[in-house]
Amino acid sequence: MKTTHFGLAAPLLGMVLLGMGSAVLAADAAPEKKVLNPPHTAADYAAVGKLPDWSGIWIPDQRDQNRQARSNPPPWNAKVKPRIDELFKALDTGQPKLMFDNCMPEAMPAWMLINHNAMEVLFTPGRVTLLGESDSNRLRRIYTDGRPHPEDVYPTFHGHSIGHWEGETLVVDTISIRPQTLFAVLEAVAVPNNGDVHVKERIHLAGKDTLHVELEIEAPNVLTGPWKTTRIFTRERRYDIVEGICIEGDFTESTDKDGNSIFVRIPKSEDGTVYVKKP
Amino acid sequence: MKRFLSATLFIGVALTAPAQAHHSFAMFDSNNQIDIEGTIKEFAWTNPHVAIYVAAKPIAGKPEAVWAIEATSPGNLTRMGWSKGTFKPGDRVKMTIRPLRSGEPGGAFSKAVIVDTGKEVLLKNE
Repeated sequence: MKTTHFGLAAPLLGMVLLGMGSAVLAADAAPEKKVLNPPHTAADYAAVGKLPDWSGIWIPDQRDQNRQARSNPPPWNAKVKPRIDELFKALDTGQPKLMFDNCMPEAMPAWMLINHNAMEVLFTPGRVTLLGESDSNRLRRIYTDGRPHPEDVYPTFHGHSIGHWEGETLVVDTISIRPQTLFAVLEAVAVPNNGDVHVKERIHLAGKDTLHVELEIEAPNVLTGPWKTTRIFTRERRYDIVEGICIEGDFTESTDKDGNSIFVRIPKSEDGTVYVKKP
Repeated sequence: MKRFLSATLFIGVALTAPAQAHHSFAMFDSNNQIDIEGTIKEFAWTNPHVAIYVAAKPIAGKPEAVWAIEATSPGNLTRMGWSKGTFKPGDRVKMTIRPLRSGEPGGAFSKAVIVDTGKEVLLKNE
C-alpha cells in the first residue's frame, strides 16, 4: 500500500473507491454480454407445436449416397483431384483407405453426406437439435432464435449453425468448421477441407416419410466453386435410436484375473484395410 | 477362471476381429457370393460393425478355418430384426457371404440359416 498524505484514512478510502470502480465496471460490461438463452414461455412452446412433424427416426439413403459419389461429384480443385482419384481407385480395387477409423466425429458436412446411421430431430423453442446414432455423428445444434453467427467463433467439428423457418422448410447456415475435418463423398473418399467451409441447407419433408436435406457447400480450399447435392432420409417409426460407440469396435470383451468384465484392445492393421489373421 | 481368460484372449487376439471402426465395405467382393458352413464361435454385437466368427469346414480348396464375417451396426441390424441373441456360440450355420478380396477367411454377411432350427437370418434390404 502506498503511503500518502491521507495517512491511515487512505487505505479505507481506496477500498471504497475500488469498490465503486468495480461496480461501475460491472455496469459497463453488462450490456456487452447479452443473454443468449432467455427463459422459454408457453407461447414459445405453442410455436414449436406449429412446426412440421419430423418425429420418428430418419434413416439415410446409402444407395443414393453411393450413386451420387460418382454421378454428382463435387468440383474438386486441381490440388486435391489426384488424391480423390487415387482414393476411388483404391476403393474400386477392394483396398479402401480407412478415413474415419479414428472415430473422430464425421463433422459437417460429412455427417449429412456419408452418414450410415439413423438420426432424430428435436424441436425446442429457438433451436433444432440433430441427434445421430453413433458418437461419430452424434449432435448438431441449430439456433433458430434469430441470433447471428458470433463474430469470433472457435472452429468446431460441426461448426456454428443458425437457422430459420421458411414455411415448413428449415434453412440452415453453418460456418466455422475445423479445417482438419474431412470433406467426404464416401467413407473411403475424403480430403481435409482445409478451412473456410460454408454450408447452406434447406431441410424439408419431400413426402409423408421422406426428408430431404438440400445442401450447397462452399469449400474454397478444395473445390473450384459451390457444390449442390440433396441427401435423402426415410422415416422409421417402429424403432428407437440404438447407442453406437464407434471406438467400441477397437476392443473385444474379456475378463481380467480378478473376474472383472473388461475391454481389451484389438491390434489394428497399419494400412487401414481390414485383415484377418489366421487362427 | 484363468483358463477361461486365456481362451477369451485367444479369441480376441488370434482372430483379429475385422470389425474395425468406421470402414468402407469395399474390401469385400460385392460381385461374388460364397457359401460357408460351420459352427458359430463368437457373435460380437459391437459398434460400429457386428462380427460373426464361424469355425467353417474346408471350402473351395481352402482348409478348415475360422471365418470373420462382418455386418452393419447393431442399430441398423436391430431395425432388420436382429438382436444380440441372433447367433449363439455352438449354433450350426450355413452362411452366404461376400468374401474378402484378399482371399483371407472373412467376408461381409449376406444371409444365413441356423441348421438346427431352420431359422433364416437376412438383411432386410437385400
